[in-house]
Amino acid sequence: MSTPSAPQEPGGATAIEERPADQETGGWVTIVWDAPVNLMSYVTHVFITYFGYSSEVATDLMLRVHNHGKAVVSHGTRERMETDVEAMHGYGLWATLEQA
Amino acid sequence: MRDFKRSGPIIKMKLTDYEATLLESLVDQFAGLLEDGSEPLESSDPFERLAAESVTPELDRSDPVISRLFPDAYPDDPGASADFRRFTQARQRDTRLGEAEIVLTALRDSDAGEHPVQVRVIELDAWLKTLTAVRMSLAVRLNIETASDAEELDQLPDEDPRSYIYRVYEWIAYLTENLIGLA
Repeated sequence: MSTPSAPQEPGGATAIEERPADQETGGWVTIVWDAPVNLMSYVTHVFITYFGYSSEVATDLMLRVHNHGKAVVSHGTRERMETDVEAMHGYGLWATLEQA
Repeated sequence: MRDFKRSGPIIKMKLTDYEATLLESLVDQFAGLLEDGSEPLESSDPFERLAAESVTPELDRSDPVISRLFPDAYPDDPGASADFRRFTQARQRDTRLGEAEIVLTALRDSDAGEHPVQVRVIELDAWLKTLTAVRMSLAVRLNIETASDAEELDQLPDEDPRSYIYRVYEWIAYLTENLIGLA
């Protein structure tokens, strides 16, 4: 109550201030996790085929999964990320979605 | 690679009769796992048949292959993960069965490896997804959880029964890599 002039909008307004970039992209991300079964060439192939990434971008993302255990592979709305996660599962990759 | 040759829209893959039969059997087992619990109801009553079709039975998630194929989409939210599965699993299963059928048809057409197996490039992803799923189910049988698990299996003596399964697992990786190389 020390700042009565502040707008009384809990939740959403604060989130927009803190995360302007995420709001623009939909606020959700798809993450692919490392699994020993996945072949490096196959993971790269999936990123090229499904996301349409260039070979360089796809290889970079694959290496990030391999070396760091996971990588964010796409950003967007929750609905869009659910579509991506479903597609990754269809390829046999271990994928999850979460709020950015 | 002598055993893999692409001519335009077709990749020809030479397999021995043993290899073609083995792969067909592995893909068939995988498809069988997905078909479990979705047997069409043998009823003469059309209403009962209709009712059975409208219910999609849940796959058995205590089976480690199924839980690897359908991992939690929301790792910290079991409820949202269950909803996600409810909305996507039937479609995923149908897609996977269709992909497995593409592979099985091509293998059967090769007459157990007598002719080269013809992989149509437009169907390449069906092949890669199915080979990956078969490999995943072998990994479950071999308890491969980490990269070092796989390295240990590589050192097993030939008389260890896991050694054979591991060689099949590696052979499917070899097929996958060669097909990707011709994509």
